[in-house]
Amino acid sequence: MITIDNISKEYNTVEVLNIDHLEIPEGQSFGLVGNNGAGKTTLFSLFLDLIQPTKGKITSHGIVVSESEEWKPFTSAFIDESFLIGYLTAEEYFNFIGELRGRTKEQVDELLSGFKDFFHGEILGQKKYLRDMSKGNQKKVGIVGALIGDPKVIILDEPFANLDPTTQIRLKQLLKKITEERQATILVSSHDLMHVTEVCERIVVLESGKPVKDIKTSEATLKELEAYFAERSEQETESADVVEGSNDEQH
Amino acid sequence: MKKLISLAWKGFRRSSYFQMNLAIRILIILGFIYFGGIALFMGVASFYIIKKAMDVDDPLMIVNSFLIYWFLADLLIRFFMQQLPVMNIKPYLILPFRRRNIIRYLLTRTGVSFFNILPLLFFVPFSIVLLIEGYSIVSTLTWFLSMLCLVFSNNFINFLINKTNAYFYGILAFTVALVLMETYGVFKITEYADDVFSAFYEQPYVVILPLSLLYLTYKLVYNYIRKHFYVDGAISKKAENFSKRDFTWLDRFGKMGFFLKNDLKLITRNVRPRQVVLMSFLFLFYGLIFYTQDIYRDMQGFIAFASIFVTGGFLLSFGQYVPAWDSEYYKLMMSQNISYKKYLESKWSLMTTACFLSFILSIPYIYFGWEIFSMIAGGAAFNIGLNSFITLYGGALNRQPMKLNEKAKAFSNTQAFSPTQLIITIPKLVGPIILFYIPYKIFNYEAGIITLAASGIVGLLLKNQFLNFIEKTYQKGKYKTIAAFDEKQ
Repeated sequence: MITIDNISKEYNTVEVLNIDHLEIPEGQSFGLVGNNGAGKTTLFSLFLDLIQPTKGKITSHGIVVSESEEWKPFTSAFIDESFLIGYLTAEEYFNFIGELRGRTKEQVDELLSGFKDFFHGEILGQKKYLRDMSKGNQKKVGIVGALIGDPKVIILDEPFANLDPTTQIRLKQLLKKITEERQATILVSSHDLMHVTEVCERIVVLESGKPVKDIKTSEATLKELEAYFAERSEQETESADVVEGSNDEQH
Repeated sequence: MKKLISLAWKGFRRSSYFQMNLAIRILIILGFIYFGGIALFMGVASFYIIKKAMDVDDPLMIVNSFLIYWFLADLLIRFFMQQLPVMNIKPYLILPFRRRNIIRYLLTRTGVSFFNILPLLFFVPFSIVLLIEGYSIVSTLTWFLSMLCLVFSNNFINFLINKTNAYFYGILAFTVALVLMETYGVFKITEYADDVFSAFYEQPYVVILPLSLLYLTYKLVYNYIRKHFYVDGAISKKAENFSKRDFTWLDRFGKMGFFLKNDLKLITRNVRPRQVVLMSFLFLFYGLIFYTQDIYRDMQGFIAFASIFVTGGFLLSFGQYVPAWDSEYYKLMMSQNISYKKYLESKWSLMTTACFLSFILSIPYIYFGWEIFSMIAGGAAFNIGLNSFITLYGGALNRQPMKLNEKAKAFSNTQAFSPTQLIITIPKLVGPIILFYIPYKIFNYEAGIITLAASGIVGLLLKNQFLNFIEKTYQKGKYKTIAAFDEKQ
């Protein structure tokens, strides 16, 4: 169970995130949707204690992430390329993570053998360092890296971006399987409404750092989300002078 | 062409240089003035100095006899320091620019480099002095022109040896052969080189040789780029040759071997750390400068200073960039299942292992006597027991990100360098000298060495306390460091 309590983040007195209370039960697949600058990456970075909350706290399995490092053994994430080590090959990277998570080489190999389809023959056995791989392949490596060591909380920022259609479908199957088996709590953000509604049981829409919708996914969810963003777009065209999401999301 | 220059100007104006803080900018400018000033001064004065000191009529002869070394050293320094032109050619490929123009522009731009300006600052005033001193105008001009050609030939040769292994090994073999033949007296290149350089002055038509060398190297580079002028080609950053070395043999050393393995990969597979480690290896020989000269024999402070460098080369040069070496994937290190303390401890182990290895490699220094070797041993103890912690502590203040696979540029790149770095260097170097010198003055030499060694042992005993303290410092700066490393350059 992850609890967000009264958390807010400001950059130079501009508030980019403000969530009063949010609870994510164990094993839930949780989707985060919002336009650029809505605060998705900021929230994920707070989960990983990569940025300091201006106030409030996040508690993950009973551990306040900004106060103790004990969340590290059961949490894994892939946010961007800075989660990859450019001068390693894919195998070396997986073994590196495996070693950090107390897995033997054999255990890592066994896990990887389950991802043959997902890798599509482009990842393993390549005489290539990660920095020389395409964006899409880097993403595949990062996502699988985040699955090593049976983490209880998996955080993936924009996992569908840059992936080819086949891999997108395979990723969805993968995430669904993890959810069905209740292996881990998955936190996913995406711009693709279709993908998230397919994968996530629950979707929260962020707007200017505030949760404006909290939906339990159903047949109607995709329509609802599409209608919501269409409305947003109209509103913005009408009042063009309103400046939206002023801050850079990548902070 | 004009457009390209204006674009480059914008790139330059908006580059990190102008966004760096004032202190660093002043340091760079001072460095430039310093080296430039020396070159200018030598250009004007060397003629008279040589004349006076060596009592010769023709100082140009003496200068000529040294030029071969000078150009070789120049090439060596360029190889390690000079940045090759990396240009983002992608946007230009589809725009209506002629390839020829882009390549010409690119090659011309390499000419405007510190490494080409510096020699000019010497050769121009030197030639003027020659003219004033009554050397023939035509001869002086051809000599100057020859030097100019050679400087720029070096510029292009550097490009070739950086890009193609064939040239690199070719020139390396050639140089080694020359040096060997020189030392064994088979063929003394310096005598002939002397004649060649003099010929530029004495027989003006010989200038055709350096001119054609310049043309040849220019053409070679031009053709090379022309052939590779595609997005995945020569001037974009190229995918590096894959190395099979994966250091799995280190696995048997358990957890520590695992981190060591990764750091060895970091060093062998990236340009910048390779460069730094090579430099730190050279520090092993630092002692030779001091131990061989009689003046320093009695200046124990200097001996202590040199001894710190012998075993501490890696610690001082590589260690000062911890944790910036991991800046490209710092977020991973901060969120993966490794505690901050473990992470820091692994870095500490790397540094102390290197110190220990350097110490073993420094055993031949026994040749200079036990007194000096005991000093090296004392220095090693200090490096392992105290300097390692000071260096690690200094890293907490260092928030400059580092691009691993790019060479350090001279005077235009201060990646992972900050004034705090300089300040933290003071205790690293002055500390051991004081620790040695005070008991040495009060009691005797042995007392100095024992104090130095004891300080290191005390440091080792306090390892846990030190690491805890350092970890707290890192924790405090954690968010700032992550944010700083995340900044795009």
